[in-house]
Amino acid sequence: MTTNQGAEKAKVIEATNLVKNYGDRRAVDGISFTVHAGECFGLLGPNGAGKTTTFKMIYGSAQITSGELFVLGLNAKSHIQKIKSSIGVVPQENGLDPDFTALENLQIYANYFGIAEKAARDRAMELLSMMQLEDYAEKSIDTLSGGMKRRLTLARALISKPKLIFLDEPTTGLDPQARIWIWDELRSLQKQGTTLFLTTHYMEEAEELCDRLIIVNKGRTVAEGRPQELIESYVGREVVEFEIGPKEVEYFVSKIKDRFAYQVMRNRLKLFVRGQQTTRDAINEVSSQNVTMRKASLNDVFLKISGYELND
Amino acid sequence: MTNSFVKGFIADLFYFPKIGRGVHCIWQRNFLYFRQTIFTSITWIFVEPLLYLFALGYGLGRYVNQVEGLSYAEFIAPSMMATSGMFVAFFEGTYGTYTKLTRQNTYQTVILTPVSPDEVLIGEILWVTTKAFISVLSVAIVLTLMGLLPLAGIIPALGVLFLMCWVFASIGVWLASLAKSYEWFTYSQSGFIMPMSLFCGTYFPLSQLPKYLKYFSNILPLTHVMMSVRMFLHGEVTSMFLINIIYLIALGAIFTNLAAARFVRRLVF
Ligand SMILES: Nc1ncnc2c1ncn2[C@@H]1O[C@H](COP(=O)(O)OP(=O)(O)O)[C@@H](O)[C@H]1O
Ligand SMILES: [Mg+2]
Repeated sequence: MTTNQGAEKAKVIEATNLVKNYGDRRAVDGISFTVHAGECFGLLGPNGAGKTTTFKMIYGSAQITSGELFVLGLNAKSHIQKIKSSIGVVPQENGLDPDFTALENLQIYANYFGIAEKAARDRAMELLSMMQLEDYAEKSIDTLSGGMKRRLTLARALISKPKLIFLDEPTTGLDPQARIWIWDELRSLQKQGTTLFLTTHYMEEAEELCDRLIIVNKGRTVAEGRPQELIESYVGREVVEFEIGPKEVEYFVSKIKDRFAYQVMRNRLKLFVRGQQTTRDAINEVSSQNVTMRKASLNDVFLKISGYELND
Repeated sequence: MTNSFVKGFIADLFYFPKIGRGVHCIWQRNFLYFRQTIFTSITWIFVEPLLYLFALGYGLGRYVNQVEGLSYAEFIAPSMMATSGMFVAFFEGTYGTYTKLTRQNTYQTVILTPVSPDEVLIGEILWVTTKAFISVLSVAIVLTLMGLLPLAGIIPALGVLFLMCWVFASIGVWLASLAKSYEWFTYSQSGFIMPMSLFCGTYFPLSQLPKYLKYFSNILPLTHVMMSVRMFLHGEVTSMFLINIIYLIALGAIFTNLAAARFVRRLVF
């Protein structure tokens, strides 16, 4: 993370005021961001926030309603085919071809990139073993588990050795082992100099992987920065959570509201500990049977920004 | 409203897809799948026309003396080739393409690569054309072995049939890119393809048709296919076949452009 500070890094993606309408419905409502070479950049937000739609505009699977978009120095509106030859994509839906085996899926995809047959086979075998799928090379797609399919999709995205990879919710629906395994794989890709751009609605995933991120909600950017900076500026270092009766909430809120940043979630009161404050200060403010202390996380940032109510 | 619809339609007519090596990749993908399922495909291709031939040629044919100087089996032999190719092109173009477009999301994945939506569409049409023509060839081989096809004139006749495969492939793919459900194809099959297979000089000469139906029949692509194929196989060759061929090429080009415009808009919107 620290290596990214200092010298100005090359801009790999520059999006300015991206807008996408599906008919009358606005899915992306003026998003701007810049992704630098070698970093892991995150697009966070709840379901329906417009993450997938933003991605699709970047790799030419959706038309851009308005805004400016440059990828690898090329205008995405006019040079999308050229852009696509230098990127790797892990879409939200794997889109593996059920008519073929795992190996054939990779070979056919390699052919789309113009990779010669022999080289494609070698590269496919190498990727299958990297993803621990060599035993499934000749198996049809339907026989693979969810985690295996995701790994195969990642292998597919790597077939052309891209320097820029898009991952749309890389670990959604996977079990914890599979998730951690993919995280490790992504970290090692980044170490080798690959730029990663991922979307997720798991805040811990973003905290774990992303150097910088934007949080989007209802098609708009609501926050932007490094995970730690965001946590410190929006919520603080630590969180103390009290379980209290609904009637007491109002009383305690009025008591602390001038001194502490806080959030009310039904019968829970969260106090955010920041600056000179200590957790002890917070604990003493509220009497409750059930108190939890923990480090503040991106989750707290997200809930603070977008509110606790379900918004779909 | 209708004005903009017409303008859109005319714009689609002149949508000429830009293509490159991606077309070949798509064709190869489909060929790879075909090769794996070749036994079922080929069996089906052989068995169906044989069923027709036995039922119509030898069953019904017993009660028919001669048609235009040919035995009934000989008379319907070219129709076997044509209808087989037409059915395969239509079936593969509609159901096959629609499945890859919707249920399997095959093309959504392909366009993540340097292969463009235009190339996907053209590759698909070329593949469907190829598969349909393979069925024409298989039927031609069977019929030749049975002595029902004269070898003279077979090459230009196959050329016309290849054009026909392209025409129905592009109509099929065009429908697939418009369709909202599989039912669309059931309707177009029973309302368009089935009747066409019967009333285009396939199982009885066009001259048997009432006058107005005859005019109507002249706009159907299969009529033009049958006219020129019969001319090359059994008739005296005159320059009339040029009209048939020009008509088929025009239809193929029109539906290819319409299909491309629709397909691309459906894939990336
Ligand atoms: N193909 C589509 N047609 C119409 N609306 C769509 C389409 N895809 C997405 N949307 C809408 O756009 C919004 C953003 O969707 P999406 O980009 O998939 O969000 P996310 O990936 O963040 O969950 C949602 O409200 C969704 O319903
Ligand atoms: Mg999504």
